[in-house]
Amino acid sequence: MKNQRRFCDGVNRRDFLRIGAAGGLGMHLPLARLLAAESDPRAARQDVSFIYVFLTGGLSTIDTFDLKPDAPSNIRGTFQPRRTNVPGIHVSGQIPNIAGVMDKFSLVRSFGHRNAGHGQADHYMLTGYHPNAAFNTGLKPNNQQPSLGSVIANEQGSRGNIPPYVCLPTMHNSASAAYLGPKAVPFVIEADPAAPGFEVPDLQPPLAVDASRLEDRRGLLSKVDRFQRSAEQQGNENARQLGAFSERAVDLMTSQQAKQAFDIHQEKPSLRDAYGRNTLGQSCLMARRLVEAGVRCVTIEHSNWDTHTANFSTLKDDLLPKLDLAMSSLFRDLADRGLLEKTIVLFTGEFGRTPQINKDAGRDHWSRCFSIALGGGGIQGGRAVGKSDKWAMDPAEDAYGPEDMAATIYHLLGIPPHKEMITPEGRPVMLSNGGRLIRELL
Amino acid sequence: MAAMFAHRSVSLAIAHLLVGLCQTANVAQGGESAVDFTHDVAPLLSRHGCNASACHGKAEGQNGFRLSVFGSDPAADYEALTVASRGRRITPAAAEHSLMLEKADGTLPHEGGIRLEPGSPSWETVRHWIAGGALETDPDRPALTELELVPAHHIATFREKLPLRVMAHFADGSERDVSGEAVFHANDAGLADVDEAGVATIGTTPGVAAVLARYQGRVAVFQAVIPRAENPNLPLEPAPVLNDIDRLVDDTLAQLRLAPSDLADDATFLRRVTLDIIGRLPLPEEARRFLNDQSTNKRSQLVDSLLGRPEYADYWALYWSDLLRVDRERLGLANAHEYYQWIHSAMAENRSLRDLARDLLLAEGPLNEQPAGHFYRVSTKPGETAAAVAQVFLGIRIACAECHQHPYDQWTQQDYHGMRAYFEPVHAKPYGDSFALVTSGNPQVKHPRTGAPIQPYPLGTTMPDTSPEGDRRAALADWMTARENPWFARNLANRLWARFLGRGLVEPVDDMRATNPPGNPALMDRLARELVDHDYDAKAVIRFITGSRTYQLSSTPNASNAGDEKNFSRALFKRLPAEVLLDAVCDATGVPEKFTGLPAGLRAVQLWDSQAQHYFLKLFGRPARITPCECERASGASIGQALHLMNSPALQAKLSHEAGTAARLAGSGIDDDRVVETLYLSTFSRFPSAEELSEALQYLGTGTQPRRQRIEDLLWSLLNSQEFVFNH
Repeated sequence: MKNQRRFCDGVNRRDFLRIGAAGGLGMHLPLARLLAAESDPRAARQDVSFIYVFLTGGLSTIDTFDLKPDAPSNIRGTFQPRRTNVPGIHVSGQIPNIAGVMDKFSLVRSFGHRNAGHGQADHYMLTGYHPNAAFNTGLKPNNQQPSLGSVIANEQGSRGNIPPYVCLPTMHNSASAAYLGPKAVPFVIEADPAAPGFEVPDLQPPLAVDASRLEDRRGLLSKVDRFQRSAEQQGNENARQLGAFSERAVDLMTSQQAKQAFDIHQEKPSLRDAYGRNTLGQSCLMARRLVEAGVRCVTIEHSNWDTHTANFSTLKDDLLPKLDLAMSSLFRDLADRGLLEKTIVLFTGEFGRTPQINKDAGRDHWSRCFSIALGGGGIQGGRAVGKSDKWAMDPAEDAYGPEDMAATIYHLLGIPPHKEMITPEGRPVMLSNGGRLIRELL
Repeated sequence: MAAMFAHRSVSLAIAHLLVGLCQTANVAQGGESAVDFTHDVAPLLSRHGCNASACHGKAEGQNGFRLSVFGSDPAADYEALTVASRGRRITPAAAEHSLMLEKADGTLPHEGGIRLEPGSPSWETVRHWIAGGALETDPDRPALTELELVPAHHIATFREKLPLRVMAHFADGSERDVSGEAVFHANDAGLADVDEAGVATIGTTPGVAAVLARYQGRVAVFQAVIPRAENPNLPLEPAPVLNDIDRLVDDTLAQLRLAPSDLADDATFLRRVTLDIIGRLPLPEEARRFLNDQSTNKRSQLVDSLLGRPEYADYWALYWSDLLRVDRERLGLANAHEYYQWIHSAMAENRSLRDLARDLLLAEGPLNEQPAGHFYRVSTKPGETAAAVAQVFLGIRIACAECHQHPYDQWTQQDYHGMRAYFEPVHAKPYGDSFALVTSGNPQVKHPRTGAPIQPYPLGTTMPDTSPEGDRRAALADWMTARENPWFARNLANRLWARFLGRGLVEPVDDMRATNPPGNPALMDRLARELVDHDYDAKAVIRFITGSRTYQLSSTPNASNAGDEKNFSRALFKRLPAEVLLDAVCDATGVPEKFTGLPAGLRAVQLWDSQAQHYFLKLFGRPARITPCECERASGASIGQALHLMNSPALQAKLSHEAGTAARLAGSGIDDDRVVETLYLSTFSRFPSAEELSEALQYLGTGTQPRRQRIEDLLWSLLNSQEFVFNH
């Protein structure tokens, strides 16, 4: 964990990451009702899963997925474009392996939104909702609206005895459930799958406690724990959550399915190498294992892409080699196993980075225009949707934003994007905030 | 980008109707005074989102046209519209063909879409303005002196819809309805939401809601009291009023039609107040003694004795170390420890909070003699120090005003940099193996946009023409800690209140602003007065709070208050903070934690280094002290926490430890009744009920495992109960 660069605001985001806690009110489960079902019923495939790789800090897409080789040197930077396996689409020469799987995913190059601040932009990209006045970035979690994974967990529930929504290796502050409550809160592994002796902490009882003793203990606990399901518990948000989490913890402990999936040591060493023996690579491999085992949504939080200084050397020497192996292996591995058809994979940061290179050879925040990369689960591969203008300052055509991204993903999962959730206060809130489908991807 | 404008949930019909009414009044009035930019056009740029941070309000503008974000700099905006780009944005000779109007009304392509419908009142105002020569400010038009939302207060019903009007009062005594030009925001949309037309929609939760309106850089607030639908059946013997707090809380509860719960029993009070004051569980002997004590004033006696315990300093030093950021990564190990020791001794001496703040603000010289000065090294820039001082001691967040006007408060960039200017002369210079704080020179701060000089001046005051003589910080310290300072005492009292009641009167506790008013302002004033009248003695306020019935209420809801978690009608569950929970586990199991590199016997609440690796503490939300925000400490639950309490090998090792509670009780020869009683007292601080006792005895008496293991199991189930994990 040497890589402890702080973000531009002095905050080391990794320090912020904490195992999840919900802001939800379990008493009021949403009475979702259907309004304008834009979704095509033929697309309603309940078995599609979603892997969201969030590159916290902001991936420089002008250096990776949307190079501007004809721009002046203070904009184009030092990386050269290279061909991909799809004629006509070029990406950075620093990501040759990704170039080799371009046919398996597409780019939206006319993507953008209106907030270039960490925290707010993260919430926007992870939930599809721009946060409002009362937003408090520092809260853990800080969700005002549920994350995509929480909506999926809430709408579709679990497949068997495995959590529907998992965060790896830790939970982003905006990846939780807000008012959807404990059943939509992610299970957080809170351990690095790249660590040599990786295991999910506390998933099994200690050796001294065998099955019958555990059974005895739990029987006793149910009698001792007088607040469980009491009026006091119902009247206290924190207690309601803890009660619900305790029940889910027991489900998880007893799940053979989960135990298998979390055991990354069962993978062939050569495949582990292919993904890259680092946190990002092994998290992507773990995500594939989890999706295979029935998890509906995996969100990977990977820091730190906030390259205000030494953008090019940091990308070239550290970040892009990891991304190149992890992303290319994930698409290839899913395709090899026949899973790509029913797994959406999305790679993006909360925003891109300034076309203009700053005095520290870095790039600052740029939300107005950047690229997102996504494939699988019904998305056509090998497309470059939309265009940025000549220096990637703004979308030149077909501008899309986080609302549209969320709507498209919900649609592909078979969840009507315009369905409403009802908050505990009785307010109807659309799953995707008026987003349009990015039809060019479908 | 089109997507972000694609959704308008507002009832446009109502909006237009209201706008129409107000604007007609304005135009009619225009017979006497010309339409000008400052009064008429600038507010529309906010109202219609032109100067939002996503559009022309961005630092770099949008498509070459730049406005100050939220209209914080009207002079620059006037220039942008009338002078920049050779004045091509307005055409007085053919006003309706001005670029500005044709972009906004959709005649020309506009990425932001149609913002002004042709012929709408706002459109007409702009056209009039251009046609009349695009006047900047009509000198005859009086300045805005006050903004008011009408009504300002309202007793609401669930689902009520209430149109709000914004009244502007001017220097000449005139007033005008500016609802059509103002911008509305809801503070807690769950309690009450508001649309663009200013129509508030009340939700279905009892409480006190706020809606704000912004116009010409000023904000006005509307407060709605939202009662329950029915009157509560008041208990025949309502809980007694013990001090002023209860009278003031009862006033609000009566308005909301909520009845307070009953008083908590002695055992609950003992556990609650011990955890809240000294951050640890009562020992079983202490619990027995208190529960058997027959004196009528035993609760206040207990509070007095807790306030005198050495653990008080440990527990409150931990709190202040979070806020003041004892951060080993920034300060280095030795310096961080020195800083912590200073905080700890301030708590041990019960130094007044005013003196604590003054010592921090005025620190000067070698840091090993003035360890408070490490505060200046936690932040890296004077502006960051100013923001931390405002947030910690005034409960005001000014950080967003560094770059633009605070969107939900009155703070401008000038205000921010005026605060920053106090700290501009302060430098930490290497000195020996540490640092020394030196104040030097008379550095001039400039407005980042206009370049105008900014003198140091406190928030909410008028900027003087000169900066104070000598150490500027003295003037700030005097202002901040003066009796009449509107924030200092209120903020500190509110923080103390939140620690004991689980929720601030203003929430979040460090976000005091006109637009986030306390639900119970009279109580806020009363608490602050208690602090000031007792010379900023935190312990006096703690006595006042813990002596109230409100603090001593049971957490069991009654028929009226089950849905209320905001108005102090019953006690809220508070998850034990990470360090307190770990200490409680150690105390209950009889096995202390050993922290790497630190002396044995050190308790988790005494662990001053927030970076020390510890899975349990991290899992249960210990903050890394990256910000001066209380919110950094997480109090929520997670599956991981539940798994850890159930399965952690470390916890099992404590349960089965040779010298632990289970082993000791099993080997002591005492009978099962007494074993169960001791375990209940050491975890729940109460005796088991008859039913609980018989369940436990039955468990201990059955099974094939050794008795000691059965005792471990009972202790395990107590530790995994909500009653243990929460202060209830």
